[in-house]
This record gives sequence, structure tokens and C-alpha cells, in this order.
Amino acid sequence: MESALVIGSGIAGMSSAVELAGKGVKVQLFSPFPSERSQSVMAAGGINAVLKGHEEGDSIASHIEDTLKGGRYIAGERAVRGLCEGAEDIIDHLEKIGTVFSVNESGRPDRRAFGGQSHKRTCYCGASTGKQIVSALIMEVRRFEAKGIIERKLWRFFHSALIKDGVCYGALLFNEITGKLEAYCADAVIIATGGQNKLFGKTTGSTQCDGYAAARLFMQGAKLKNLEFIQYHPTAMETYQKKMLISEAVRGEGGRLFYCEGENRVYFMEEKYGSGGNLMTRDVISREIDAVKKDVFLDISFLGRKEIERRIPEVKDTCLKYRGIDICNEPIPISPAVHFFMGGLAVHLNHETNIRNLFAIGECASMYHGANRLGGNSLLAAIYGGRVAAGEISGRRVERESINYADILEHENERLDMLRQSKSSFPVNYIRDMVADTMNRDLGIVRNREALERGISDIDYYLSVADRISYDSSVLMYANYSLKGILTLAKATLISAEFRKESRGSHFRSDYPKESKDYEASSIISYNDGKFDVCLDKESVYES
Amino acid sequence: MRVRILRQQTSLSESYWENFRVDVPKDMTVAGLLDHINFNDDIIDENGNKTTRIGWECSCLQGICGACAMVINDIPALACETFIKDLKKDEITIRPLRKFPVIHDLIVDRSVIHENLKKINLYIGEYHPVKAKNLKKAEKEHRQQYDVAKCLKCGICLEVCPNYVNGNSFFGALFANECYLVSSRNETEKKEILKNYEKHFGNTCSKSFSCMDLCPMKIQTIASVAGLNKNSFHN
Repeated sequence: MESALVIGSGIAGMSSAVELAGKGVKVQLFSPFPSERSQSVMAAGGINAVLKGHEEGDSIASHIEDTLKGGRYIAGERAVRGLCEGAEDIIDHLEKIGTVFSVNESGRPDRRAFGGQSHKRTCYCGASTGKQIVSALIMEVRRFEAKGIIERKLWRFFHSALIKDGVCYGALLFNEITGKLEAYCADAVIIATGGQNKLFGKTTGSTQCDGYAAARLFMQGAKLKNLEFIQYHPTAMETYQKKMLISEAVRGEGGRLFYCEGENRVYFMEEKYGSGGNLMTRDVISREIDAVKKDVFLDISFLGRKEIERRIPEVKDTCLKYRGIDICNEPIPISPAVHFFMGGLAVHLNHETNIRNLFAIGECASMYHGANRLGGNSLLAAIYGGRVAAGEISGRRVERESINYADILEHENERLDMLRQSKSSFPVNYIRDMVADTMNRDLGIVRNREALERGISDIDYYLSVADRISYDSSVLMYANYSLKGILTLAKATLISAEFRKESRGSHFRSDYPKESKDYEASSIISYNDGKFDVCLDKESVYES
Repeated sequence: MRVRILRQQTSLSESYWENFRVDVPKDMTVAGLLDHINFNDDIIDENGNKTTRIGWECSCLQGICGACAMVINDIPALACETFIKDLKKDEITIRPLRKFPVIHDLIVDRSVIHENLKKINLYIGEYHPVKAKNLKKAEKEHRQQYDVAKCLKCGICLEVCPNYVNGNSFFGALFANECYLVSSRNETEKKEILKNYEKHFGNTCSKSFSCMDLCPMKIQTIASVAGLNKNSFHN
């Protein structure tokens, strides 16, 4: 193929753009804001890879097994194999383009231990791995921009895809500067728009990621997968503006979780799971904190100021800056917060959705992580997925079919004009806040049928008024037109969670607390004119 | 507490001041304050009149993306890490960055930053690091490269710079830092970079280094400049 649209310019989007450009495919790279604002810069921990000179006993097979086990055996084995086998080449490439890794004595990327992994294999760049990779990739994109192979377009928000008879021909983007919809056609379209954080209001991630692109494509016929699997990070600190992530490194350094009973501290994780209790996986700790129903704290003060400043300076700074807490003397008040979405657009091994020539990569695609993601695998999957999609697109023959988009553009512009005229007692921001309240209440760490059905009923009500909201000219047009898609995605997520009548990975049902063989497969949900259909992908149609 | 905000509905309309009365905790940041004003269904100004939501840009809300750079009590800063308790006055004035075109309220168009870097075509391409004389020096260089790669491209260094006007010829501290990063990680690019560095930074910078005082990532531009000058000398 000769041309592609890449929508989203975080690490996944930039990786695919660079790979495509390197193979001579012309790329238009769209995003509302520059890559420096993408959620990718917030990925602190690292990127997994079994490199030459690995820890004794480690192997690619071990990385594969850790990933499959972490995902409770519903991720595609072939997909995970490709990911883990491709990891070393990705690290080599990142080094080559100048990523500033933390290095060992021989000048190669250093590695640290990460939760859920049997060996030390997480390459890192201090406490800002994502940011350092973003900086390097921006330069690579710039190299191809100068050659005219990549064209970056800012202030463009995804609106919808141009689809005819199950084939994608391009996309409509809303230009917030001109206030107009623009149509772009290309041989292939790659969606790289991140996870659906905003469904839950305040999370540990970026405010820019809301899941709308996946939602709109779902309404246009794309299938979604594993939406019920949402990773809660157990240790986030509440601030006025967001839930601030407190790194797993604090527990790695010996941090102890407790709650107070009168004057006494109850170290509930150690009492239940023994000395390693504080290092249990994210889903287990989140559930235990949820069950305590009391204020929970994380204490690392016993490590002493000198060691804290040496080993976890960023955590010390964050707590002091945002809550005035000196972790050398006092514990950190924590609670679990939504952190990562394993679910998203259903894709095949080549990252193509069920719509031909429409691809999805990064967090908006559901691949590799199954029912729970390992730390250090998301950056790897973002880059690997971008490469796979690019390889497929560049190797595919151009199809000379086209679409007459003039009518679609006119129709969608009319709809936006109608939206601009709309007045009612339902302001768009009010409904967005209500959706977040519903999702946090009914799709929390522990779910049950009653709560999920209540959530579905609430979202149904908001959907019934979504076409007659009060247009708010003081927020982005995007915030107005994206509402219906976001509500539809919220409903699809609740339905998927209700459908899975078992507990697996990050999905825990108090009414079905056991993992069940009957559900050892991904869930797939589709949409047809207001109707939602969900089933299990027992034949492994996707991710294979 | 009184909050004064310089507003502008569109890129073409006139700007105007609008005042608000708020009662918020002192340990809230300016980002939290803006959220607080915008959260209500009806936004009411100091005189009780209904007004529109305040436009501002944010993404990470923890000081690592640079979206929310604005001028707070005359000092350019990130709203998400400027705390009300640290502001000296009882009245808070907030305005958009002055050296970039306003798009809406506190949202500005900083695309000149990327356009200038694109114009010079700065990229590492192939990793061919400059060999340091000893381990200590190598560690120091690595530390500086790591810090420089954390640049947010938020524009605060340009806003505060006495030499930066509109980016037509002088590209500012972020450009000098990018030149350092590329030349220190790919020696083969050095000669061309130094030429552009002199033209778009070295020859004009008056060395006030006010950029370093306000940089949210505390990037030591002076160390990048020293590194580049050292390279200049060798050539």
C-alpha cells in the first residue's frame, strides 16, 4: 500500500508512522496535541525484553509464559510469542535512534525487576521510560517529516471512519481551529488513540484518553473485545486534580500496607498472605483494599531518609508536592484507581479489525494482555503492534476502490450543525460526570449482577437524552459530539462485565468468585442499530 | 479569593479580563482551581453574571506533559504544579502565554516550537555517541542527556526569555538543548548542528538564563551550552 492515516501520536502511533515511512508509505499523522502531551509520557516503569546477557534462567519462553499467566491464559499464544520474540529488536532500535536508557557497566540498557515476572527483564530510562522513548520517536518522525513522507496534522480530533461494505477508505477528522469536519482518504487507517480513561473521570492516566474512537468505530461495525478487563492500580493517592500513581517500586522496596484500628496498625496483607503479602499482584491487593472498607496507608518511612532519597526520590517529591506528606516520617494515604484497559478494538494477529484496512494498535486495541497486563508489557506492545500493523500495510497490494465521501461529509456536517442548535436541561459535561459516577459505582473492583444491571439502566437513561443535550460552546466541539459514543462504550463495557459470569484476572464477580473453564476465552461485543451482542471467542477468531 | 482571568473567545476576537470569587483550599493547584470554576453547570462571574467555561489545556495533570503552561501572577508556570499557597498575593491573575497566538482563553498555539525544530531537521538518526574522557564525565554527560530528553516543549523557557520574540530567527533554550542532545548522541551530526546552533541561539543568547529558573523539568541549559561550546572549540 502507498498511504496511511495514523490517528493518535503517542508511542504506538509514532512507531507505526516511522515504520511505514521507512518502507516508503506516505503517512498523515493526526492528533489534537503534540506527542509531548500524549499519555505515553506518563509510562514510568520500563519495557520488557529478554536481551543477550539476560539473567540466568531467563528466556523468551519464560517471558511468554509470564505474560500468558498474568493474562489468565486468554491472550493469544501466537500473538504473545511474536511480542516477546520481537522485544530485543525493539530495544536495539530504540537504542539506535538515541533513546536515553539507564545503562549498565557495558553501556547496554540496564534491567529492573517488575511485578508478576519470574526474571529481571524490564529495561528502563530512570523514572521516565515513556517520556524518553517519546522524545526519541519524535525525532524519528521529524526526520521523515523533513523528507515529506510523514505529515503531522495537529488540532484534529477523530470523528468517524469512512466505511463502505466492510472496507475502510479513510476518516473524518474535526478541525477545532476551523470548526469544520475534514475528510481524508488513504489505503489504510491505523487507530492509536489510547485507553478509555474518561469513562471513569479521574484516573491515573491522561485526561485526553476517553475511548471515543473505539466507541464510534464500534457503532460503525467494528467489534470490541474484553472490555470487562480493567486494571486497577492498588496504590494511588487522591489529590484535588487527579489520582496520582504511587509506584509499585515503593512496595518493591519493602513498603507495608495497613489500616488503623484504634491506636493499632493492622498490616492486613501480611496477616493474610504472609511476609510477601505487600507484593501480591495488583488485582489481589486492589480487592483486599476494597474489602477493608477503611482508610488504607502505605508506609515506607522505616527505610530512612537517605535510602528513600536514593531509591524512590520521585515518590518522595510527588507526595510532598501534592499532599504535603513527607514519606520519610509519615505513611501515604492510598486507594486503588483505574489504570489500564486490557479491552478495546478486537484485532487479528496483523492488528487489522473486522473492517478491512482498518487497524488498531496500543491501548485502544485489545491484544497480548488477556485478563490482566504485566508491568513493562504495555510500552512493548505499543511499539510492537505499531510495527506489525505497518508491516502488514506496506506489504499489501493497493486496492483501487474508492469511496464518494461528499454525501457522508455533508450529512455529518448537518448533524454537527443540529448539535450546535440543541438546547435542553442536559449539559454535556453534566452527563459526562454522571457516567463517571455510574462506572465507578457499578463497575468497580468487585462487581455483581445487581450493580451491573443498575449501571446499564442508568446509561440507558443518559443514552435516551444524548440526542437532545444542551450544546456547550465553551468546551471543545469534540466534547459535545463524542458524548453518544462514550455512553455507548460505557454500556458495552457494563454488558461485557455482566456477560462474564466468573472471576478472572482483573474481573472479579462477588456472585461468581471462581475462575471457570467455560469462560476461558475473550469476550467479543458487537453493535447493530442500538442492539448489543456479546459472545465468547472460543474459536480464537481474533488475536490469531 | 479573587481570580482574574484574561479571556479570549476565539483567535480573532478581543481579549478581556473576567473576575471570579472562589473559596478553595490553599493546597489546591491552579489546575484544581480552574477545574473547580468549570465544574458547575452554570459558571458565574464575580458580579453574579452567567458566563462561559474557561478554556485551558491539560493532559497528565502531574507536571510531565507541559500542556497547562500559562502565566500565573506574572510568572510563566505549569498550572498543575503551581499551588495557591505558594502565590504571594490574595488575588490570582491568570493569562495565556504571551509569546504564542491565543486560540481560546488560556489555550495557545505553540506549533512554532515544532516547526522550528522541523525546519532545522534535528534528529539523532543513528546512535554514535561522543566518547567521554573518563567514567565520571560519561556519567555526567548521560545525566544531562537524560534531563534534556525530558523537555516538555511547554514554551515556558521562550516565554521568559528576553531574547525570544516570535521564533522567526532566535529559537530559544529548548532548541539549544535539543542541539546538545542530538550532537552528543550522534557525533556525525555535530558540524551541521553547531552551524545552526550558532545561527539560531549562540549568536543571540544574552546568557541571562532566566529559562533555567523557570523550567518545570529544571533542565540546566547552561550545561548544554557548555557542551556545545566545547564541541565548537574542538572543531
